[in-house]
Amino acid sequence: MSTTPHPDPTDLTPRHVSALLQDTTPWLSCEECFERMDTYAEAVVRDPAHTDEAMAAHLRGCAACDEEAQSLVQLLAAQ
Amino acid sequence: MTAVSRDEQRSTTPESPPRTEAVGPTDWVARLGGGGPEQAVALRELHELMLRAAAHQVWRMRPALPDPSPAAVEVIVNQAADEAMTALLGKLHTFEGRSRFTTWAFKFAILQAATEVRRLQWQHREVELRDLDVPIAPTHEGPELYAEGKDLAAAVAAAMHRVLTPYQRRIAIALLVDGVPIDVLADRLGTNRGALYKTLHDVRVRLRAELTANGYLAGRRASSPARTSAASTPRVSPTHTAGTP
Repeated sequence: MSTTPHPDPTDLTPRHVSALLQDTTPWLSCEECFERMDTYAEAVVRDPAHTDEAMAAHLRGCAACDEEAQSLVQLLAAQ
Repeated sequence: MTAVSRDEQRSTTPESPPRTEAVGPTDWVARLGGGGPEQAVALRELHELMLRAAAHQVWRMRPALPDPSPAAVEVIVNQAADEAMTALLGKLHTFEGRSRFTTWAFKFAILQAATEVRRLQWQHREVELRDLDVPIAPTHEGPELYAEGKDLAAAVAAAMHRVLTPYQRRIAIALLVDGVPIDVLADRLGTNRGALYKTLHDVRVRLRAELTANGYLAGRRASSPARTSAASTPRVSPTHTAGTP
């Protein structure tokens, strides 16, 4: 069984720093993100410039929700 | 029932909308909640929707799978669709019609399929919760001695030791440095995605406050430019690479 990769102890990369310092306010939970995801995706498909500050903040900070939201938008756009 | 193949997905065009699109949201809830042959038909159509969305998701993440063969993908798709359908039916009473029913349904399958792919990706990998082992920069040096780039990293590391609990540091390192997917970590710790994300949010709030207080970040409403390039924190998905090999 492999383990999690250990980066160099001194290697807190700019990407790590950016992720650690990501501004995820206004607060939105993963549960609330899931609740909104369907209406958000439809709005984005209708208008790619659609903005939802709380959703945007959450998706910047949660890669899993971001992947799923992008996937839903892609699925709707393909229909 | 079989999974929807990628070719079948691609054949879905605006000229040939799926039959389910013709059914209104209220109709879906009524048909699924009713009984008799109409409910059986609705359940079958719903399962087709779940298969389509699950297949879409698994194919998106297919490179991350230990076994990306079409046969393995089909197994994952079917399992995810079944589980998503169960989850959806358990929440059918909460559907408020703010979106199309099909969109609402898709998100259940996408969530389930993505979670399953991440689980499979990490099923033979041990997750270690380690503390930060970046050397702590002497605090007496002051912000003026930090340059951009690596020195900011040292400032962040120092702040992590000052303002975070050991648990917060370990969660942040696992998710944001080691790239453990949030679902996987939640499963290993016996918690859920939402709880870990809350921890991560608190970590970020504390770090940003500390670095802002020490002059490394501009405040949200500050008129002065940021000291460093990280102040604007460009969009970085924390575990962006966690779904890929």
